[in-house]
Amino acid sequence: MALLEVQRINKAFGGLQAVKDLSFTLESGEILGIIGPNGAGKTTAFNMIAGYFPPDAGRIVFKGEDITSLRPWDISHRKIARTFQLSKPFGDLSVLENVMVGGFHHQGSRAAARRKAEEMLQVVGMAHQAEIEAHNLTATDRKRLELARCLATDPELLLLDEVVAGATPIEAEGMMDLIRKIRDSGVTIIMVEHVMRVIMGLSHRVLVLHHGETIAVGEPQTVSRDPTVLKAYLGERYGQLGSA
Amino acid sequence: MLKQPGPRNGSLYAAPLLALLALLILPAFVRGEYYLHVLVGVLFFAYMASAWNIVCGYTGQLSLGHSALCGIGGYISTLLFINLGLTPWIGMVVGGVCATVVGVIIGYPCFRLRGPYFALTTIAFAEILRIWVENTEEILGIELRGAQGISVPLKGQSPAIFQFEGKVAYYYIVIAMLLMVMAVTLWMERSRTGFYLKAIRADQDAAEALGINSTRYLLSAMALSSFFTALGGSFYAQYFRYINPERNMGLDLSIEFALMGIVGGQGTVFGPVLGAFLLTPAGEISRATLGGRFPGLHLVIYGLVLVLAVLFLPKGLIQPIRQLFSRGGARQSAGRRAAA
Amino acid sequence: MDPIILGIAVVNGIIVGGLYGAIALGLSLIFGVMRVINFAHGSFLMMGLFIPFWLWKLFGINPYLAVVVAAPALFGIGYLIQATIIAPLFKRERAMILEPLSVLLLTAGVGIMLDNLALMALGPDFRGITMDFSAKAFWIGSVLNINYTRLIAFLTSIAITVGLSLFLARTDLGRAIRSTAQNRDAAALCGINVSRVYNITFGLGCAILGVIGCVMIPFYLVSPSVGLAFGVRSFIVVVLGGIGSIPGSILGGLILGVVESVTAQFVTATSASIFSFVIFILVLFLRPTGLMGMKV
Repeated sequence: MALLEVQRINKAFGGLQAVKDLSFTLESGEILGIIGPNGAGKTTAFNMIAGYFPPDAGRIVFKGEDITSLRPWDISHRKIARTFQLSKPFGDLSVLENVMVGGFHHQGSRAAARRKAEEMLQVVGMAHQAEIEAHNLTATDRKRLELARCLATDPELLLLDEVVAGATPIEAEGMMDLIRKIRDSGVTIIMVEHVMRVIMGLSHRVLVLHHGETIAVGEPQTVSRDPTVLKAYLGERYGQLGSA
Repeated sequence: MLKQPGPRNGSLYAAPLLALLALLILPAFVRGEYYLHVLVGVLFFAYMASAWNIVCGYTGQLSLGHSALCGIGGYISTLLFINLGLTPWIGMVVGGVCATVVGVIIGYPCFRLRGPYFALTTIAFAEILRIWVENTEEILGIELRGAQGISVPLKGQSPAIFQFEGKVAYYYIVIAMLLMVMAVTLWMERSRTGFYLKAIRADQDAAEALGINSTRYLLSAMALSSFFTALGGSFYAQYFRYINPERNMGLDLSIEFALMGIVGGQGTVFGPVLGAFLLTPAGEISRATLGGRFPGLHLVIYGLVLVLAVLFLPKGLIQPIRQLFSRGGARQSAGRRAAA
Repeated sequence: MDPIILGIAVVNGIIVGGLYGAIALGLSLIFGVMRVINFAHGSFLMMGLFIPFWLWKLFGINPYLAVVVAAPALFGIGYLIQATIIAPLFKRERAMILEPLSVLLLTAGVGIMLDNLALMALGPDFRGITMDFSAKAFWIGSVLNINYTRLIAFLTSIAITVGLSLFLARTDLGRAIRSTAQNRDAAALCGINVSRVYNITFGLGCAILGVIGCVMIPFYLVSPSVGLAFGVRSFIVVVLGGIGSIPGSILGGLILGVVESVTAQFVTATSASIFSFVIFILVLFLRPTGLMGMKV
């Protein structure tokens, strides 16, 4: 059984159809990349899977259970974690305390949550920044903090929303290694990303959205040569080049 | 939340413990009833500000309707005493439970509102209750006496019915209550609930994505706060032996609770206590000395303190004091880290 | 309920409601432009009422003429308070995370100070003025009479509303204010001095109260305590009509005025305010943007 099945979900805001009939399945252990030009509906799709708001139509099934209308905290308890496109650290808490909030997910005791948090900070390489107040972090560190926070909840499915945005090439490499490490520990990942190198390098499959519709799904190599994809990103002329 | 938590740095607790000791032995040296009276007032406000802080300090919402909960506690315990002869010790708890129910029922829709709208709604609810009580002489055969208020009858000096000769007993009772609410706050702050509340306050969306049912936790804090606030209302009724809607359920009182919590430092254990210890005597002194000539002077002072606090000490008075203590601690742990 | 009495109540409610709407204009404007919720709004109206009162009491000046003093005075006070007390908060916002309630608390503190300074200086008594034509009214039919002073107040309220709308729509300063309201940073990039716009907006919001105070004092008693009552009313009006909307303010005012007037026929005046609060709560829960307003 597929880990996650998204069945024809739709979302419209006012007159704008943000996501239209999006469907895909996700196998355990995969890294699925979702790409598309700005405004394609990537984050909207994400928000629906994460329970931030419900789809207008369609179903989302996780491990055989219909999670379409669940609230974010229930989704979190089903072992799905997400990061936010615009980082949302708990500003006035320290880095350690931020991750502890995630750490309390499965354990009620402060000591156990703290241990979990320290462990996760080691994994993402932020242990030396444990006492810093979160609003003092750089943008990339905030993303890593969110990652650590998510990991502290022991997720089975991780939704990453533009974790590499704004990172320098070296930081991006580091993030890629981290993501591989996370996947190797048994977490399935869906990534929304703009940085092509990252997504093509990490994903097993890539799904391309454009104006809310799926225009291509497949392995990175195939998708990057797909004329429809090239047209969507680069315009009509390049689309023709692709097919030549 | 500051980086050097108190427990690792013992000196942070030394000062309040000394203060507590001083308070405990004070009645042995100070005989004047007036001074005890002032202290009871200060401690009462410290208690109420702390109870207010349990929900508002940790959720970041501003309730300006807490006096209604205070009034509910006071009225219920008093009415039970007058009409059923029920000792206020039990009546307090009943009042507390009622206030908790009211607080949760009202809190549920309110917490969906943001910032100023939440504050305005709490004012609206509290005012509705106050105006209703003010205009109701009796309901279901029970006399409420409207704006006149109710006097708590003297039925002899018996601890069993929460009535004592002189002020000393009340003094120790309110200290005990204050310690209780501070202990609850401290426990909550260090527990999962405290972490979750601070997360909700910092970023509700992110908190919910981490598995926190924000509604449940906000309402839990509200329930706790309502319960203790109502208990304080019962104490007030027993101490002053009189309650009326204007004083016990009025906007002025709500503002005072909030003010002390904010000026002292929201979201901390000692902050509201500090705020109360600073503002209540200031208010009392200005009322006693110039209050006759200049009614409202103490409120001008309160207003001024609020403005200055928001502009210069947004985290409350507790902030610079903590930094004073933690500088010693910071040097210690920096040394430890360097050695590692 | 006698329909004629009800009709009279409604008409009176409309007259008073128009006034409420104009009073709330400043609140709506200040929020719409600066996102500042001015908890001291009622206190400024209180000052706006006291100025013409004292000018009449000390110098015998007709309150309608006192406008030339009251409006600029209140403009100046508002401008000053915004520039010295509230502006620092905006500067801080750039630097670090701002607690969303800071402005609310700040203006609340200012309001408390103003109310109680007035209390200290002037005492708690209610005071009013009497004029030659205070009691005169004009009659519609044989049953309905409208006091001239109230009528003037109502018409002034309408005039102010229209005047403000025109000012915002047609003048350069008005455009500057509107653009700052829509996008502060973009306005700054276009060369608009945002701080000055904020100061002027706040001053303007208060100046309106100066004018209203002058037309209210002929029939309304003033005391330091009216600040709170009108502050609360203004918030109800603004929530009803929708914050940031000028026509919404008038609409909200009319609704509140009529509700107050009609319910006062059935219950005591103080009890009637419960209904106002109930409506306020219902609107906040069911339609938070009000009837015509923008999102917070």
